[in-house]
Amino acid sequence: MKVLGISAHYHDSAAALLVDGVPVCAVQEERLSRHKNDAAFPAAAIEWCLNHAALEPADLDAVVFYERSMLKFERILTCALRAFPRSWRSFPNAMKNSLGEKVWARGIISSHLGVPRDKILFTQHHESHAAAAFLTAPTRRAAILTADGVGEWATLTVGHGERRRDGRTDITLLREIRFPHSLGMLYSTFTAYLGFAVNEDEYKVMGLAAYGRPTLTGQVGKLIRRTPDGAFALVPEYFEYQTTASRSYSSRFVELFGPPRNPYDPIDLETADGRRFADCAASVQRVLEDTLVDIARALHQETGLSDLCFGGGVALNGVANARILAESGFERLFVPPAPGDAGCAVGAALYADRIYLGNPDRDVPDHPFWGPEVDAKELARAAREDDQDVIELEDAAMIERVADELAADRVIGWMDGATEFGPRALGHRSILAAPHSHEMRDRLNRDIKYREEFRPFAPVVPIEAADTYFELPPGGARLARFMSGVFPVRPEWRARLAAITHIDGSARLQALEREMAPRLHALLEAYGRRSGIPVLLNTSFNLSGEPIVTRALEGYSTFRRCGIDVLVAGPTLVSKRATVRARPLKEDVAWWSGSLAGSGGV
Amino acid sequence: MSPLARVAPLDRILLPVHRWVWNDFDRRVRKLLAFAEVESDGGRDILRAAEVTPDALLRRLYLEHAIDELHHGDLFRQRGAALLRTRSTRLRTLFNGTPLPGGHGLDDLSIQDEPDHRLLAFLHVAEKAAAGRFTIYRDLVDDDPQTRAIFEEILRDEVFHMNYTYTQLARVMPRSYRWQVWRARASRLWKRYLRVAAGIASVVGNAVLTIMYFILLPPFAWMARRAERREPVGWTPISRTRDDSPTGQY
Repeated sequence: MKVLGISAHYHDSAAALLVDGVPVCAVQEERLSRHKNDAAFPAAAIEWCLNHAALEPADLDAVVFYERSMLKFERILTCALRAFPRSWRSFPNAMKNSLGEKVWARGIISSHLGVPRDKILFTQHHESHAAAAFLTAPTRRAAILTADGVGEWATLTVGHGERRRDGRTDITLLREIRFPHSLGMLYSTFTAYLGFAVNEDEYKVMGLAAYGRPTLTGQVGKLIRRTPDGAFALVPEYFEYQTTASRSYSSRFVELFGPPRNPYDPIDLETADGRRFADCAASVQRVLEDTLVDIARALHQETGLSDLCFGGGVALNGVANARILAESGFERLFVPPAPGDAGCAVGAALYADRIYLGNPDRDVPDHPFWGPEVDAKELARAAREDDQDVIELEDAAMIERVADELAADRVIGWMDGATEFGPRALGHRSILAAPHSHEMRDRLNRDIKYREEFRPFAPVVPIEAADTYFELPPGGARLARFMSGVFPVRPEWRARLAAITHIDGSARLQALEREMAPRLHALLEAYGRRSGIPVLLNTSFNLSGEPIVTRALEGYSTFRRCGIDVLVAGPTLVSKRATVRARPLKEDVAWWSGSLAGSGGV
Repeated sequence: MSPLARVAPLDRILLPVHRWVWNDFDRRVRKLLAFAEVESDGGRDILRAAEVTPDALLRRLYLEHAIDELHHGDLFRQRGAALLRTRSTRLRTLFNGTPLPGGHGLDDLSIQDEPDHRLLAFLHVAEKAAAGRFTIYRDLVDDDPQTRAIFEEILRDEVFHMNYTYTQLARVMPRSYRWQVWRARASRLWKRYLRVAAGIASVVGNAVLTIMYFILLPPFAWMARRAERREPVGWTPISRTRDDSPTGQY
């Protein structure tokens, strides 16, 4: 049975394909369209998935959309009505936005794919999150927690799931917190207030939080109150996201926290304003963590289960995840590699396959590499055409060579196999560097990633060595499998791991099993033999504002535009030649133009 | 003025409008920041062209072009931000937490689906128009040497962009390159018409929806607010019997 899952229209659209109950591929539209967080209908992603599996749309048994679009429209309309007449400005845009495309999901899918309308199924948004978290985790019974900005109405749900011995699967969501009360929206409101992009830069708030002190938790506590049943409610006077799309915080919010940050001003932690912003970030982070820990703890007590599967965009918050693991009572915490809306494509397909269609349970491979493969020959051809130094090496020689380059403080663009599904670079599309010095961190921020100084870099370490360098609690290595938790760097190693140690002594590490990415694992060991520390700095292979690279040529164009020294794709290694420069090319073209300047075109 | 950057007749006619925009501080900042978005998005699109073209020389040229555009985006962004800092009290009225206007520089062009000759013709016409307009803007910001210097720098790059797109177009389509340029001009005109038409349709749509909002919605709004008051806060149980039809969108 072939089931296609689709998430689209809000942010980060994606497609995923299941064949006989097992995912065979999944990709975010942004990785193909090259528009970051592309929310458009994922036509390219669908086409790639079908081509990858050599299927035609007619071969599909079901196409599953990740949420119920009419129910979502009902929420948007209801909120506009409740805010009458304050919503008069936003109402026309909200209607045009929804009625233009978003509510017609069935028709759009049908017209794009030409599949009969009765093959098009719908799950609820948080059911998709729950399935993506539970059905991809190596557990048979688990509590389930989902939290994001908002789906249809739900913003947070709790429940449990079971994969039975007889092959049947149960996912039961017990209760939900409904819009406008939303932990995700609370965090996003602070994201906007701090001058970052909503639905994109929430991780910057988490990074900034480490520089501040949670001195404003009292003020944040005025925005969110705990209800007697253990849930929470936001105080609507401080927010505007429920009434308008143009601003998420109200004037009362500004009275409470002071003027918002100008997005174009750098955050200067030496100034009072800079410290205030860092304290705001630390305070909302603390409140988010406390709330999630309380909800998770209550869920643990209620279910008595030892495993928790956590999905939704809030599950990208690695600091909160680590606290949930440490304090909620659950022994293991599973966060999928794509817990956000993109992952709902996988979740929706799995939910429909197991629950709607009643297909027997199947184990899902426990890795994130579901996207297009890199083509090393494509890289070699392009680099040779540009007179770059290209060499091709056997695997073992390549590992040794790259380890040498890393030991010489060179920065490596690393492409290997299929691209990751989800926002993290987990070893197949990574920029790798030595993790030892502040200078390396600053160089990466300045010459390669072009990003804010306060943002930390993540380390990757072989799982068998993780405990040597990082303080992992029980279950921590599992959480670190997909870089989903932030844990302390052991104090004795912080000075030698300065590039990946955040200001608070923590790191969002990836603990790598050999089976998941054997070449990277071998590289870590080879680097360990040279430096004594088998740890590398691992950051996503993209530049600021761009999606992570997919194809070899995208890696190559990124390599050409920034300070990466060496580019590797499979057996091909390209070293940047200092002599290949732009200016002669421009002069050549200017010379050519002389012969045509009089021809009238220009 | 660069000899190659001619000002279009329409822009000459619109000179008072341009002057009105650039003489006002807020509008100047807004314009610079909007340019930053457009140039960056355009740069990313040209980068995409570099990644998909099979022509090695074009790949190198597109890459140079993309780097220039992304650099222009940075220049505009830095200048806009610097101006903003000089008048921070205006921030609220300028931004108010609302995302800035912007868009993909080449968003109505699907880069993957365009052959090189069509993209080159499009880029040539677009760069030429931009150079003409930037020439006007440069002359209108005489009171602001730093912004003027940015336009000067960008204009130099635009000349390179105009030249290479034209010479390369002549290389890849030696027989019909002039026709391709005319075709790109016509296409640009058509897209401009479509943008204006869509803008008018949007204004009309907004007006109709606003009228409907005030005429039709009040009773429903009253009912929605009554219902809201009855809604419990905190947990809402999820009924196991709720309508969960796989084919339902509700």
